[in-house]
Amino acid sequence: MSDIRTDDIDLTEEPKLGLGAHAAALAVVCVIALVGNTVATEHTVPQGLVGLIILWVMCMVGMALTKFVPFKLPSVAWISLVGILATMPWTPGSAWILDKVSHVNFLTLATPCLAYAGIAIAKREIEIAKTSGWKIAVVAVLVMTGTYVGSAMVAQAFL
Amino acid sequence: MPIKDILLDWRLHGSVLVITVIAEAIGVIAVPIGIGSILLLPLLYAFVLGLLINPNVISGARALIRDREVHAASPLIVIAIMPFIAKFGTIIGPSMEQIIAAGPALILQELGNLGTIVLAFPVAVLVLRMGRESIGACFSVAREPNIAIIADKYGLKSQEGAGVMGVYVIGTLFGTFIFAILASILATTGAFSVEALAMACGIGSGSMMAACSGALVHAVPDMEEQILALAGASNVLTYATGLYLCVFVALPLTEKLYDLLGRKEPTNAGA
Repeated sequence: MSDIRTDDIDLTEEPKLGLGAHAAALAVVCVIALVGNTVATEHTVPQGLVGLIILWVMCMVGMALTKFVPFKLPSVAWISLVGILATMPWTPGSAWILDKVSHVNFLTLATPCLAYAGIAIAKREIEIAKTSGWKIAVVAVLVMTGTYVGSAMVAQAFL
Repeated sequence: MPIKDILLDWRLHGSVLVITVIAEAIGVIAVPIGIGSILLLPLLYAFVLGLLINPNVISGARALIRDREVHAASPLIVIAIMPFIAKFGTIIGPSMEQIIAAGPALILQELGNLGTIVLAFPVAVLVLRMGRESIGACFSVAREPNIAIIADKYGLKSQEGAGVMGVYVIGTLFGTFIFAILASILATTGAFSVEALAMACGIGSGSMMAACSGALVHAVPDMEEQILALAGASNVLTYATGLYLCVFVALPLTEKLYDLLGRKEPTNAGA
């Protein structure tokens, strides 16, 4: 119990899923998001469904790019790039895509993710938080505050 | 763990579905405090509800969620943030002109991430008298790529490794709350422009950006599109540049500062 080895937290220990498994898992997440979207907003189920199908396709294109493009970027970077390119004003059909995805609330999409994150907290992480003690907690709050305020100050100066 | 077990784990997905419905049904709550107001968002409730059914937190929860669900939930975090990231892309695309106009500020604010060294490092070394773990703890905001840098250079068993893991875990547990609170307080006090606060939300973590920009949007609803476009663009930029900034600037700088301020000699002159 007290034997805590930080190197046990292996960030790559998650099972590597193939594209097909990703597609299925993503579909499960999208169904949950659709229910959330229906509860949170005035948008109807068919509206939300079409929007989520488009977002699902974007995610799949992004993941395919992550897999097949030779230089390494995280999949989230590719996915946002796909979303950006599909909706730039000079992209054909961008107005249609924008209209469809406008029925999906952006913040609702983050809700299932955080629910998974809460459930995924492992015993080791709780033990690290306990044993690292109050000092590291104080430092962590300052780290996050420093990053945020630092970025805001530099942005403010150059705007 | 077989892939099928992750996909067909109905206890896990069912629980997430119920949590999502509850969290969205509660909606956003604004809590006024002296200098501004703190916005509580559905995604924050979702995280807390997830913790409450996590058997590692509440042992009674083991009847519903077992270790295999906890383990299966972990790869789903990354997958579940993907539609959110795609949606964010569709907010950035139409605002491309604004983003290009804000280009210099947007690129240079990446350097603002070094603010962690300015604020956290002196406190860790001079006030809390921490050792080399302060290097790992303070050189970055301690997300996955930053852990990889420390693991590569020092190994995670080292003091530096303990530092980065400590901040990583605290960030995982409380990061969304901290950024939501920072953003809502700073937005309601008016000390910074909303555009600057939006750009600062791009810290290279999807969930933290969601909490941060979500709080900003609720504080200043009229500027929703600008806020999301700038936050999203800044986050993409951080994914692309953050690693290099850390390897070539932040980590060497933190080490230099440690040589200057850290407890090498047994004197107390540093304090």
